[in-house]
Amino acid sequence: MRYASLFWEYIKNYAKTRLTYRSDFWIEVLSDLLYQGMNLIFILIVFQHTPSLGGWSEAEVVFVYGFFMIPYGVFSTFFSIWNFSERYIVKGEMDRVLTRPAHSLYQVLLENVDPPSLIGSLVGAIIMAISWAQLGLPFHLLDIAMVLLLVISAVLIYAGLYTALSAISFYSDAPTGIVPLMYNIQNYGRYPVNIYNKMIRFMLTWLLPFAFVGVIPASYFLAKKTDDLSQLALITPVMGVVVFTLGLLLWNHGVKRYRGAGS
Amino acid sequence: MLAIDVKDLRKQFKVQKNREGLSGALKDLFKREYRELTAVKDISFQIPQGEICGYIGENGAGKSTTIKMLTGILVPTSGDIRVNGYIPYKDREKFVNGIGVVFGQRSQLWWDIGVIESFQLLRKVYRVSEPDFRKRLNELVERLHLGDLLNRPVRKLSLGQRMRCELVASLLHNPSILFLDEPTIGLDIVVKTEIRDFLMQMNKEQGTTILLTTHDLQDIEALCSRVIMLDDGRIIYDGGLDELKNRWSKGREIQFQFASHTTLDRLRQLTATLDVSWTAESDVTARMWLPHAVNVSDALACVVGGTEIRDIKIFETNTDDIVRSIYSSGSASTSKETVVS
Repeated sequence: MRYASLFWEYIKNYAKTRLTYRSDFWIEVLSDLLYQGMNLIFILIVFQHTPSLGGWSEAEVVFVYGFFMIPYGVFSTFFSIWNFSERYIVKGEMDRVLTRPAHSLYQVLLENVDPPSLIGSLVGAIIMAISWAQLGLPFHLLDIAMVLLLVISAVLIYAGLYTALSAISFYSDAPTGIVPLMYNIQNYGRYPVNIYNKMIRFMLTWLLPFAFVGVIPASYFLAKKTDDLSQLALITPVMGVVVFTLGLLLWNHGVKRYRGAGS
Repeated sequence: MLAIDVKDLRKQFKVQKNREGLSGALKDLFKREYRELTAVKDISFQIPQGEICGYIGENGAGKSTTIKMLTGILVPTSGDIRVNGYIPYKDREKFVNGIGVVFGQRSQLWWDIGVIESFQLLRKVYRVSEPDFRKRLNELVERLHLGDLLNRPVRKLSLGQRMRCELVASLLHNPSILFLDEPTIGLDIVVKTEIRDFLMQMNKEQGTTILLTTHDLQDIEALCSRVIMLDDGRIIYDGGLDELKNRWSKGREIQFQFASHTTLDRLRQLTATLDVSWTAESDVTARMWLPHAVNVSDALACVVGGTEIRDIKIFETNTDDIVRSIYSSGSASTSKETVVS
């Protein structure tokens, strides 16, 4: 309850500071959408050359992409902590965070909240709805609940992975190289994982479970495939809780190793 | 009750050794060497409630590291800390409700939003009720003359204005202990005085315990009943300021201006019975240096009896000089014999 009211307070302040720079706000929304649009165009171009990708049709892959955009948008809104290491560890802003009575991760997240990214989620939902109709999938009310559950689980997976990634900064001096690497790997999760070789597939499913953010939960709604990914779809919530818990534990342990900056 | 209780506190950092040159950097890439740096070396002290204690030492002596351990930011390598009855790094979120922290070199406020909005946000973070918050804020605003600043964004404040706002921010939740890390750094004399007066008054009225680090010894003279001096991670002095002066200052100087030319030999002859020394400044002025063991009145009596004096000035060694001499003498080693209490 208190965290919820804190959240609201931070959002209000965000609005006050950012909305004063109106053009900046729209440029961010636009560049976000452009980036996502490029990815979508890439998918469409691939399907100009082949009718199916590992047994997945164009509409199905677009559906997966649409689904992926929803948790990704939510995640980007609350976890835009790309500069965590630099700002909080190197510059020592963590000092301030640690002298306040709220969980340190929560404070860091709130200080960096970025609502424009939520528009990406909205666009994703629209893409998903259109593909849903195109594919002629059956629609039950339960599906809405399932979408919500799977989106939340996917967000938790993302959140856990990036929390863990940020927590590495507590242990290592300059983990700058890891973030772009992860950023690239996460993109693989939106495509059907069976197109990759076994090792990458294993990694995307169990080690850095980005497959659980896009293709696996999305396949729950799609027609059954030969190597049935949708069986894994219901594990997504479990993965979400496990990955997020691990990320949080690593963070909590890491905070104790924080060394401060300068004197 | 003790506000702060520290026993055998130690903090070690692992520091990477950088080898020289390009080849060194390449070697570092594959095999790093670390060395242990002990910033705080088994210090112990206790601060009772309601005391204002100054924490001084050279740059790098370990002051900030200690403060960071006391405020729960850093986890000590070994030793016990109790602040307000809590172990700071263990119950961090509960513990920080009872303390206020100001880092002079780093802002606690949000850069882009108005000061009052920062305060409102802190009110939520610290769960202060609206009426309590209003009352406290009005009081603080009045005392620190912040009235017209509240609606300005922090980035547009001058350093002095910002520092007063920082103080308010750290006190909104009415903490019983206040940690100040160089609170007057870079401030002009007017703001410094204002802040000192404010702290003094708050300490008197509400019994707030204050621990402050500073390089400005006037802060210490104005505020502190007690000084802890740190050198190279060890406490080399812990006690009253006067006592520090007495222990470390070697004596005082008296400048005489005589009515006529007076030779040093003549003066030495007059004070032959006392352990003092003379230096000539001009034909008619001379300085006498006397250790604490010698009474000023005795010394004066000897001189007055034999010469005609126009003017006398007494120079007490000031704290700056004393502290400078302690810092530069590498006193950590000498202190073992002289200061162990």
